[in-house]
Amino acid sequence: MATASCKSLEDSETARESEEETEIPKDFEPGASSESILISIDLYEEVENSPGSVYEDVSYRRRKSTICELERSAGKRVLAEEQVETSKSFDDKSQDGQLKAEIGHDESIRIKNSPNVEPIRIEMESIQMSSDEEKHEIIETAEDIHNPEWKQHSKHIFILSEAGKPIYSRFGSEDKLVTLMGVMQALVSIVQDNGDVIRSIHAGDHKFVFLVRLPLILVAVANTNASAPQLVVQLNCVYNLILSVLTSTQLCSIFEQRRNYDLRRLLGGAEKFLDNLVDTMDSDPSFLLVAVRCLPLTSAIRDTISQSIVQYCSKVKNVVFAILVAKNQLVTIVRMKKYSLHPSDLHLVMNLVNSSDSFKAAESWTPICLPKFDSSGFLHAHVSYLDDNCPACLLLLTVDKNLFFTLQECRRKIVERLHRYNCLEAINASLESEGYSVSEVGLPDLRHFIYKSKSAAQFTEPRLEAPYVSNEDQSNLFGLYQYLHHRMYNSARPLKILFYVGQKEIMLSWHMAGFELYAAFEPMVTKFTAVNTMNKLVRWIKKEEDRLFIMNAPTI
Amino acid sequence: MKRVDLKIVLLGKEYGGKTSLLERYLYDHFHGDLPYQNTIGAAFGAKKIQLDDKQITMGIWDTAGSERYEAMSKIYYRGAKAAIVCYDLTDSSSFERVKFWVDELKKFEEDCMIYLCGTKKDLVQEDRQCRKIDYHTTTDYADEIGANLFETSSKTGECVRELFTQIAMDFVNKYVPSSKEKNEDLILESPGKKSTFCCSS
Repeated sequence: MATASCKSLEDSETARESEEETEIPKDFEPGASSESILISIDLYEEVENSPGSVYEDVSYRRRKSTICELERSAGKRVLAEEQVETSKSFDDKSQDGQLKAEIGHDESIRIKNSPNVEPIRIEMESIQMSSDEEKHEIIETAEDIHNPEWKQHSKHIFILSEAGKPIYSRFGSEDKLVTLMGVMQALVSIVQDNGDVIRSIHAGDHKFVFLVRLPLILVAVANTNASAPQLVVQLNCVYNLILSVLTSTQLCSIFEQRRNYDLRRLLGGAEKFLDNLVDTMDSDPSFLLVAVRCLPLTSAIRDTISQSIVQYCSKVKNVVFAILVAKNQLVTIVRMKKYSLHPSDLHLVMNLVNSSDSFKAAESWTPICLPKFDSSGFLHAHVSYLDDNCPACLLLLTVDKNLFFTLQECRRKIVERLHRYNCLEAINASLESEGYSVSEVGLPDLRHFIYKSKSAAQFTEPRLEAPYVSNEDQSNLFGLYQYLHHRMYNSARPLKILFYVGQKEIMLSWHMAGFELYAAFEPMVTKFTAVNTMNKLVRWIKKEEDRLFIMNAPTI
Repeated sequence: MKRVDLKIVLLGKEYGGKTSLLERYLYDHFHGDLPYQNTIGAAFGAKKIQLDDKQITMGIWDTAGSERYEAMSKIYYRGAKAAIVCYDLTDSSSFERVKFWVDELKKFEEDCMIYLCGTKKDLVQEDRQCRKIDYHTTTDYADEIGANLFETSSKTGECVRELFTQIAMDFVNKYVPSSKEKNEDLILESPGKKSTFCCSS
């Protein structure tokens, strides 16, 4: 909803402001290319369009599974045995289940899932009282609800089952939080009884944000700068991570068979993916922007890398995506024609690589579900680092589970070619320089910025330098970006330009048809200078776009 | 062209020491000081071994012990000639999982030779109290299912090499006739044929 009104406002008065002071064409978009490697998506669209329960998702996917489509096109009749089994058991169940959901197309799904519910404000007395009451009884050494340290954390994320069973908590042990999760479940179901959906509770600085994705309930409790809609987006990412580990098919059938199932058994070993994701979201703009950070490389080098991958992967049938990432930055993606990758799927892939060192030890063959691509089944990923001395990780994703040795060989040849053309050195050099300095832009009042090309779903930012050195300063800055972002996307009053005078800096954000730009300036800068600087900045980005963005979308 | 003569799979409960066992064998190192890293999916490692006049390439799959991968474990153990089912000598529940894996293998992969492997022996040697699985229970069970039994320590390297050498020798005796007629079957050449190879043998 927010995006629609945002666009309509472009022509209205706020737009005038920017035109007066700039000669930037309306559709100007540095970093955009004719064909994007990623699917471009507006922030809240993703959450709004997601089905409210996995059951709906599964029934939708049964009609339209990308993996099945791929397998069919590869001439494979037989599905992966596991998939057949699970979907069969689901078939039987769905007959008498409530969710027969005669949904013909996307549209009606959307309607079903976005009930017109006003956010509810509830005073949080009841919960706080209950924790106060018990406060004096026991003081545990482990972090739990009675522990002052536990309460100090600025953001908590909880996952529980529909039945109120704890599944995950960022801090403390789930077992000790049973009662708390019970309260959360009760809140959700009380509101549900009235045919409503609970969205958030606001109590002072704290926001309690709920995302109901049956059979799961996700809750964020935060006193950070993140707004309630932003926290919902974060919860949605967490939910997608669960799907990426289990698939919607499996999640669905487990809870259909046993409503009281303890999902932690199946998530064993995945806690660190969750921890890492939840932590990263507090400092990485990728999730806020639903975009991907690219590793700066000259276009010649990047093309060589892409071509090397294309050259060998095109000989292998069934490679859907080949992804090269280095330290949370995208080097390149090669994709099968017709199929594009969703940025949030890519975030999950990067999170997988970042959370574990076990890929460094040996090449791996692992199932992974990309929920936006197809939440119903697994792709199989050949995961390997290019070299002991290069932290770039190559993932070859396929629908064929028997392809390991073929991909191993394919990967060997790719690495050989990358060595021959000194691509690894180039990647290392770029990583070592840690991106670029804001001083390279040559605009003295500018301290830092984040620029997102909308159609490319990619963003760029200089490295954090003085005065943003300490963790505290860095997270303050990120908080300001979150605040700007929230104001710009405020569904009640979306903005086009926002000039914000902060305590230690001046912030400016600017949305155009093609891009989003957020920047931090010296505290004494005038509005006029700041806006002028933004114009120059956009032109600088245009000049550097070949290096900062992936402009080609190679396919196989 | 990738040649793997002998496919070996490591199975067992998570935190049972499978990855450490493999790392000790492949690279001869042990990272006791690093925090525990659970395997994701499965990792693959290959090693050549020289037995008298024959050289064999072993392809070893180190699977993740986490329960959610069980449904997919077939991908990894299908066509395996040998399976090392690991259990943690200091964790009694890990031996329960051994029975699960053995049943699974007997059911779906009849020809696969089974090797039981008790890990973390150095811990029980340090402190007898640590041992949670009685040695004779394991030998009885091994006899019952016709498996070999090893107790290893990846930290000290005790019995690790012996285990893999034993597997390689058993494999040679069982599958490689002195004349080389059957050898062709064991070469993985064309990518598309891998599954056929696995099933047909």
